[in-house]
Amino acid sequence: APDYSSTVYRQAYSRINGIVIEGEQEANDNYLKLAEMLPEAADELRKLAKMELRHMKGFQSCGKNLQVEPDMEFARAFFSPLHNNFQKAAAAGDLVTCFVIQSLIIECFAIAAYNIYIPVADDFARKITEGVVKDEYLHLNFGERWLGEHFPEVKAQIEVANAQNLPLVWQMLQQVDADVENIHMDREAIVEDFMIAYGEALANIGFSTREVMRLSAQGLRTA
Amino acid sequence: MFGLIGHLTSLTHAQRVADKLGYPEYADSDLEFWCMAPPQVVDEITVTSITGQKIHGQYVESCFLPEMLAGGRVKAACRKILNAMALAQRRGLSITALGGFSSIIFENFRLDSLRRVRNIDLEVQRFTTGNTHTAYIICQQLQLAAQRYVMDLAAATVAVVGASGDIGSAICQWLAAHTQLGKLLLVARDRQRLEELQANLKQGEICSVEDALPRADFIVWVASMNQGMVLNPQVLRDPCVIIDGGYPKNIASSLQRQGVYVIDGGMVEHSLDIEWNIMQFLNVANPARQLFACFAESMLLEFEGLHTNFSWGRNLITLEKLDLIGQLSRKHGFRPLMPEA
Ligand SMILES: NC(=O)C1=CN([C@@H]2O[C@H](COP(=O)(O)OP(=O)(O)OC[C@H]3O[C@@H](n4cnc5c(N)ncnc54)[C@H](OP(=O)(O)O)[C@@H]3O)[C@@H](O)[C@H]2O)C=CC1
Ligand SMILES: [Fe+2]
Ligand SMILES: [Fe+2]
Repeated sequence: APDYSSTVYRQAYSRINGIVIEGEQEANDNYLKLAEMLPEAADELRKLAKMELRHMKGFQSCGKNLQVEPDMEFARAFFSPLHNNFQKAAAAGDLVTCFVIQSLIIECFAIAAYNIYIPVADDFARKITEGVVKDEYLHLNFGERWLGEHFPEVKAQIEVANAQNLPLVWQMLQQVDADVENIHMDREAIVEDFMIAYGEALANIGFSTREVMRLSAQGLRTA
Repeated sequence: MFGLIGHLTSLTHAQRVADKLGYPEYADSDLEFWCMAPPQVVDEITVTSITGQKIHGQYVESCFLPEMLAGGRVKAACRKILNAMALAQRRGLSITALGGFSSIIFENFRLDSLRRVRNIDLEVQRFTTGNTHTAYIICQQLQLAAQRYVMDLAAATVAVVGASGDIGSAICQWLAAHTQLGKLLLVARDRQRLEELQANLKQGEICSVEDALPRADFIVWVASMNQGMVLNPQVLRDPCVIIDGGYPKNIASSLQRQGVYVIDGGMVEHSLDIEWNIMQFLNVANPARQLFACFAESMLLEFEGLHTNFSWGRNLITLEKLDLIGQLSRKHGFRPLMPEA
């Protein structure tokens, strides 16, 4: 297990914890936005938003427990490309891109990161993260279902949104390479876990194996 | 539904196959990328028994490559196997064979202790190593080779390289029980495990590879080597039969010398065409009919509704199990693969 009190760990944790808190905040905002855009599912989407807020509070308490101050400035800069793309899509009423960014990319990224974090987390954070990751699978399922129900009409737009946004995820991950390693997580394992969750979601939505392999690896090699 | 978990024999092999299947992201990528690649279900399979029964299965490519072990990427190798197993289970496959190195990694790195993969608890009874059927088929190939090349086993020296392994020890047991051998040479690196085997068999001589090769009339090669070894054919006897059961092959190049007969070990031929595409990428002469015996084991278990980890752990294969899997193999129309006469 890592030395949770070491300076190296705490410095890395400050950025990673910041990212996680910001990610949950973004997720909350994004679901509230989606609720406005999709009135017939507003109740359920607001429920998801509320869960994300609870996750955020959980992760804030993880930082407090280790007496680490999350680096929120870094975290907001970290998320800004994805954040901006979501805002742009929302302003244009592009529901499909909004779903791809929040319900597929962000949820799968959370699932992968949390899955890989759990075995190396401190006891306090492990319990919280285990609870959170269960919720994230439900969230993934919501987006998956909606996109799957509209598959023929939305297929092309999913591919466009994937091409625009997935490469951003690889770049984001690269920025925190050293931090990830310092809290004993394995970047390779995160990428693999991401591709598993994301690929499974794409397959459930209706993409063929060949399409799944192309879409989920998009931009990875050049990252 | 049954499953097969497979992998390719090297990075170049994997890139070539990915290219042919039309996966350019995988075809153009290096080992780094394959270390991150998730398992995929890449084929649907239908097998018809000579009894008329039909079963369906799926082929899971684990994306494991032997270079991961050679290059010390043990964590990546273990992830490939666990993730492929989790995928097979999520797909609801009742019995899945762990082909090639999959079961060796599972054993060597004690993955049994890591049964929880994300939100899935692996149910080991859904998996089989396929090693019982593989050992049975290799024993048959040895006997068929003795007949074909008119060599008397009772006067012959048989070397089993990898004798202390799961397949090797089962082969030795079977040979000790069912044949009269001139001499049995037990070859592997760890001497203690060989001594235990020797004590169980109450026969056999422990021997190094270098000493065994020039002495053997039959070489059964079932070592777990992540790369084939280069063999100098001049050291071998004339005649000499080599049954290469390794995947990847234990012998690096084809041996061309008068009097040396190399047999594709642990391979079976089915009596009817199997509906699948994947085998054409695995370097066999007749992909519609020829396959690894370990894969065939999961098919046999599916035909029989024996949804249990028939072959599991190390050195636990019994004569009874060898006998049973042999009966089922014949019943459903499989036979040991032999070279064209
Ligand atoms: N055709 C088919 O359907 C199948 C083929 N296989 C292949 O069969 C082979 C054996 O599998 P399995 O029995 O499960 O493996 P195990 O790991 O159980 O046994 C491997 C054996 O090889 C020995 N060995 C390993 N490296 C060397 C070496 N360099 N020189 C001499 N001996 C060596 C080991 O002993 P030590 O470490 O002491 O040397 C051990 O005796 C593998 O190549 C596997 O891929 C497996 C399943 C099915
Ligand atoms: Fe969340
Ligand atoms: Fe979520």
